[in-house]
Amino acid sequence: MSQVFHDIEKKIINSLKENSIQTPETLEKSTQLSPDQIRRGIEWLKLKDLAIVDESKLSVISLGKNGLDSFEKGLPERRLLNLIKHGPRKLSDIQKELGFVFGAAIGLCKKNNLIESLSDEIILKINPSILPGEKTLEQIGTGKLSKDELNPTDLSELLKRPDFIIEDIIKNKKIRLTNSGKSLDISNISGAIDVEAEVPEIFVARTHPLKDTIDEIREIFVTLGFSEILGNMTQSSFWNFDALFTPQDHPARELQDTFFLDGISAKKIATSEQIRKVSDSHKNNWRYQWDINEARKMVLRTHTTCVTIKHLAENKPDEARIFSLGRVFRNEKVSYKHLVEFNQIEGIVVGKDANLRNLMGIQREFYKRIGITKIKFWPTFFPYTEPSLQTMVYNEKLSKWIELFGMGIFRPEVTKPLGITKPVLAWGGGIERIAMLKYDLDDVREFYNNNLRWLRSNTKCQ
Amino acid sequence: MPVIELSYSRLQKLIGKVSKKQISDSLPFLGLDVESENKDLVRIEYSPNRPDYSTDYGVALGLEGLLGIKTGSVKLIIKKSKNYSILVKPTVSKIRPFVTGIIAKNGKIDDKTIKQLMTMQEDLHFGIGRKRKKSSIGIHDLDKISFPLLYTTTSKNHKFVPLNSEKELSISEIITDTQTGKDYGHLLGQFSQMPIILDANKKTVSFPPIINAAITAVTTKTKNLFVEVTGINKDDAEDMLSVVATILQSAGFNLENIQISGANNSSPKLQEKTMTVDPSLINQTLGLNLSTSKIITALKKSRLNAVFKGKNIVCTIPAYRFDIFGQMDLVEEVALGYGIQNFEPTMSPSQTIGQINPISLQLKSLNQTIIGLGFLEALNSSLSSKRVLYDMTNRDYKKIISVLDSKSQEHTILRDSILPGLIENLSRNIHESYPQKMFETGSIFNLHDSISEKINLAVISAHKDANFTEIKSVLQTILKVGFGIQIQTKTAINSIFKDGHCANIIFNGNIIGIIGEINSSIIDNYKIRVPVVGFEISLSDYILKLL
Repeated sequence: MSQVFHDIEKKIINSLKENSIQTPETLEKSTQLSPDQIRRGIEWLKLKDLAIVDESKLSVISLGKNGLDSFEKGLPERRLLNLIKHGPRKLSDIQKELGFVFGAAIGLCKKNNLIESLSDEIILKINPSILPGEKTLEQIGTGKLSKDELNPTDLSELLKRPDFIIEDIIKNKKIRLTNSGKSLDISNISGAIDVEAEVPEIFVARTHPLKDTIDEIREIFVTLGFSEILGNMTQSSFWNFDALFTPQDHPARELQDTFFLDGISAKKIATSEQIRKVSDSHKNNWRYQWDINEARKMVLRTHTTCVTIKHLAENKPDEARIFSLGRVFRNEKVSYKHLVEFNQIEGIVVGKDANLRNLMGIQREFYKRIGITKIKFWPTFFPYTEPSLQTMVYNEKLSKWIELFGMGIFRPEVTKPLGITKPVLAWGGGIERIAMLKYDLDDVREFYNNNLRWLRSNTKCQ
Repeated sequence: MPVIELSYSRLQKLIGKVSKKQISDSLPFLGLDVESENKDLVRIEYSPNRPDYSTDYGVALGLEGLLGIKTGSVKLIIKKSKNYSILVKPTVSKIRPFVTGIIAKNGKIDDKTIKQLMTMQEDLHFGIGRKRKKSSIGIHDLDKISFPLLYTTTSKNHKFVPLNSEKELSISEIITDTQTGKDYGHLLGQFSQMPIILDANKKTVSFPPIINAAITAVTTKTKNLFVEVTGINKDDAEDMLSVVATILQSAGFNLENIQISGANNSSPKLQEKTMTVDPSLINQTLGLNLSTSKIITALKKSRLNAVFKGKNIVCTIPAYRFDIFGQMDLVEEVALGYGIQNFEPTMSPSQTIGQINPISLQLKSLNQTIIGLGFLEALNSSLSSKRVLYDMTNRDYKKIISVLDSKSQEHTILRDSILPGLIENLSRNIHESYPQKMFETGSIFNLHDSISEKINLAVISAHKDANFTEIKSVLQTILKVGFGIQIQTKTAINSIFKDGHCANIIFNGNIIGIIGEINSSIIDNYKIRVPVVGFEISLSDYILKLL
């Protein structure tokens, strides 16, 4: 395997070739690297068996508070000897002059037989030119010295005394190259880096995968000539149900299927003509007493069809291709299959020649563009379309047919009361279902969990 | 949608000369979804507008037509008889004013037939009967009943032995103690008098719409049936009766009529109706070019009768097809009879130019700008909860918009802010690596005179060094690059944010949002271990409409 070295490693190797045993501090100076870079470089070289670190302990000596005092003014016993070297002095005078070292000075001089006391006077007996400890005190001074450099006997004299000596243990690192490190020909190493090494993981910022699917579908509809309309998620029952020929006692309009907003009714729901004609259509066909208060109740839209029908009623176009895309709601128990809130796409074509085969053709084209070519159509039922169909698409992964979009032609009972005279083709369906196929998910809740692990790792281009 | 279980072998016996594969291939083209299949049994889902598909007899009628084995409409043959009559007393008028019924004789009833009839009855009650409120059926053993009958009212002390019981119970007891009483008693709630059908010997036949008498129960020994339907609307009751009559005739019974009179009641007619349809409407709507004879064949395959008259097709529709309101329904019958699988999809050239909504376009560009700053897009439900929106984030709980009877506790209140949801998202990701930076654009809801829906943007950043400066830089850059807007921040107090680390976002003198370091008590509530900063601004009012 080729040897690959980081710049840091190369600098350290070069320095050690010049100066074979070094400390981190000397390496810092010679390589101009930071302490952290030196530390890392040494670790890398150690792992590669190119450098050895010898660790040793060093005892460093410096003077404590009393030591420094004595370095300045002399040892206590020297101060006493100096006071009496020209003749005896009174004990009380000596005490006054020596202050807090008086006791130590008298004790030590008496012990070494240097003085004598006569009645209340102290008399000098011997005045040695150098006392034990004085040499060491002078050697250390205000600096720091290795313990090895001092006379142990003389030092021990000072070590006995309180606050004279401070001893620090310092760990010492000595770095040198191993034999293979020494034989390394650094000049032959290229500027290559370790391209095979693992690198840290970083995370992408991105659109939500479901949004990607929504955008993709939006663009397909636009290229097919459809324009997007937006509408509110809160709607009156009038537009969500009544205008779509869903009778007021229909099971879909019960609390258990639809979210009704607590205590909220719309004041103005539609024009009086629209209300009159829609209610007539209900009374004549479904045979019941239509109640405007029921129509006023606000709901969370159960489909985006309420947005398209309102748009048609307001604009009455003779020709149009429109779609709307957004959240819809069902009062369901949340499970891996069901959400209370999901996205729906809904498209309509208005035109005098709009027909069922065209409607099927648009579906086929749409599915082709999202990569689904095996489709078939089955009849079904919706309260507001006639005829009504559903698309079945073949899922290769699951090897079975699954139901996707529902479609149909708006019933005259829907269009006529709202003044829409041309046939209206309509279709729609849930987007999460398509996105689940795309992302190979078997739990629809994943789209709204905002689980960073999934969002950060999911493949974007599918 | 209702689901029933069918047996292939029973269907083969009813239809004759047909393979199991032919049946399973044809079911979807009648509009019946196959839910699951297990050897001879198949579970299908049918549309609530076709209650005749609630039994295998009805499905067999449809299949015979589609496969071309027997086509044209099913004619009800009802023998005129004077032996059976029901007299209605005016006292029922306010409670359940109408009764209708039919006699069905000389049928063979085995366990499977009883099962089919019971499923049909249940489905009719639930669907077109609107949980028995509109109309309900009772099927009885004719030979246990002495005619004429009386449909009248009685007190709650009236006693009889109801179905599935061994002893006599009073009506009060039935309502409070039996399951059907508990389920449907409310339909009669406010009345002191109860509807009742009594026979010539004053024996109780039925207590509609709750329960039949035990004595008239149908068993495998039963040969002749009496069917009664009661309801609040005569036409609806007769619609329901027409389904039962058609099914019983298909099951081999001979029908006889019942004379009904009193209090605006009359004998059921169960008549066919006729409807005229223009062949060009059919061809235009379907995108086909069918000859009139092909149209007539298709209608007959859908079990209707049709003839060509003048320029139009005159269609005869049996009473049980009350789902047919008008011409468009006949168009669909042609499509089904012709066979949906025979339609070739076509693509008509577009005459229109497609356009993305300007709001969607702006939001997409905004998203790209924010992603450029290293933020990940999140999506949360608009329907959130008191816990996430208010409790966990110390926010004021006022003027909320909540939904009724939600099946999920996590989805009860429409969000008035996006930020609380994003903070909650962080709490689910405390084991993922930091920094965690997310944003969401979406609708928020407020209640004034009516509900206002606005689009907001919220951005959040969580990591060990997150601070006010960072998030203000993000805000400033997004609005400058996204919309060319300069904003200011002015000290503010808000329970979501730390005091002294929170500001209103001002644009042109208007407060458009709030920014700051998230209050540490909220971070503690969620057990998040790093500082969190964020902001939320309203896009609808001052930003999106600028363009």
